[in-house]
Amino acid sequence: MEEILYSETYQITGNDYERGGEAATQVKMVLKELGIDPAAIRRLSIANFEAEMNVIMYALHGELRLQVLPDVVRVVVEDRGQGIPDIGLAMQEGYSTATPEMRQRGFGAGLGLPNIRKNTDEFEIRSTPGVGTTLRYGVRVAGGEAGGA
Amino acid sequence: MTERAHSIEISAADCIGCVDCCKGCPTQAIRVRGRLAVVDSELCIDCGACIRNCRYHAVRARTSTPSDLKRFKHSVALPSLTLYAQFGRNVDPGQVLRALARIGFDSTYDISWMCEMLAGATDAYLSECKGPWPKISVTCPAIVRLIQMQYPGMVANLVPIETARELAAKLLRRKLTYELRLKPEEIGIFFITPCSAIVNSIHNPEGLEESYLDGAFGISELYGPLLQAIKAEGPSEDPSAVSGRGLLWARAGGEISGMRNKNTMTVRGVGDVLRVFDRLEAGTFQAVDFIEAYICPDGCVGGQLTVEGRYAAHRNLQEILGRLGDQKGVDEEKVRSLLREHFFDIEEQFTARPIRPLGRDLREAISRKKEAEAILATLPRKDCAACGAPSCATLAGDIVRGRAALQDCVFVKLDELQRNPETVKDRQS
Repeated sequence: MEEILYSETYQITGNDYERGGEAATQVKMVLKELGIDPAAIRRLSIANFEAEMNVIMYALHGELRLQVLPDVVRVVVEDRGQGIPDIGLAMQEGYSTATPEMRQRGFGAGLGLPNIRKNTDEFEIRSTPGVGTTLRYGVRVAGGEAGGA
Repeated sequence: MTERAHSIEISAADCIGCVDCCKGCPTQAIRVRGRLAVVDSELCIDCGACIRNCRYHAVRARTSTPSDLKRFKHSVALPSLTLYAQFGRNVDPGQVLRALARIGFDSTYDISWMCEMLAGATDAYLSECKGPWPKISVTCPAIVRLIQMQYPGMVANLVPIETARELAAKLLRRKLTYELRLKPEEIGIFFITPCSAIVNSIHNPEGLEESYLDGAFGISELYGPLLQAIKAEGPSEDPSAVSGRGLLWARAGGEISGMRNKNTMTVRGVGDVLRVFDRLEAGTFQAVDFIEAYICPDGCVGGQLTVEGRYAAHRNLQEILGRLGDQKGVDEEKVRSLLREHFFDIEEQFTARPIRPLGRDLREAISRKKEAEAILATLPRKDCAACGAPSCATLAGDIVRGRAALQDCVFVKLDELQRNPETVKDRQS
């Protein structure tokens, strides 16, 4: 059984562009307080922002769960929404189903999911079309020790 | 790691212990203890918001004094471009420079030419740079500190090019040492600054082992004498003493206006800077090449040590620029040759200086984080700052670090007294 030292859950509402990025920013602030290595925070922030925006763009509602373990910071993002019919396709860089409205806001370059995988040390995706998607990813941190100082 | 320090000075005689500075501090670096505000040097980025917010003029920047000039055989005033915009629309930079010589400096030196050269140097750097993107300007020292402390993962985004004021001082010291046959340390070069951040950047430089400047005077400190000297001096004979393109650097947007690369942005004011940097840290704006960012609302003309308001200063600049015309004053070949000798490069890498975590290791930090969350749940969440911390959340953090007590909260204390009136009588008797 893995030892979860700290966990916190953040709610994400679909289509709420106004608050887009809030969960990612809150997670970042917590990780800084805990003294996690800045480079790890940076990679995780990029992943969190992408995942959060995916929920906002494609789902009705979602939850971002932060779990801090002794050697890894893990995030689980679970949403209720349209899901992804072909995960293989969605993981290809440049593939996007973004609407013109999303593109106008600067999203939908088709880099979201591949970008999350690129910035994390563990990555897992499960999706049921019409039900929702669950993303699990994590960034390894130095064993038990806080970075920073 | 060098010791962190700041340039903010709080006068115990003038501070009444209100919480204006504490609540207005963007990095939560101020606590009020009794009747005195105290600045935490581990958190202060020298943005000067406290100087701006204090109604009692109790907060000042640690600037130089006239006696500092006497330590040198030759003293030079190196004015911020903002100084040129302080005396109305009809006063030209040349008059301001002559007025500085009149009030006690042995000579003066204009940095607008260096600014114009730096625009070219930045373009050259961006064209060869491999990222990470976007690159961020280091002109505003409060921005550099903010990144080192609050966005340590972005230190690699800082442009490794020295600031115009330092480069100008470096060049000038070389020149004067030769011309006046003095030792470098016999020459005192003083910046005339619009802000507190530059004062600290001279005493605790980043990217340099030691500053090429010897100190700084606030524009507001010299304003009165300068105004008199300008009146005594009479109108300007040579309006073209400065570079118009360089002069644009006095206001936000000026730095990028002279660059060839147009894939650039300007961000101004601490609130917007924090919002944009939060996004930037999450990977947005990677398609942008260069961001010019200022902690002050409109760039340097909005500095807290200026006298002329930033809107009027804007207009003054426009008028001066109109008279100067847009002419290129800097020889591009000269810039290329300086680039080849790495004249513009910083001398030391910028280092991350992340703010202290809640504990010495992950487990201690987490246990304190949980403790702070539990404490916060019992606090009133009014963020009244009567306890001396800017918000209930910062008080909770201070309590778990052992720097404050739960009873510092007036609501908690009131609640305790109402539930247990005996303690009041005990204390009174």
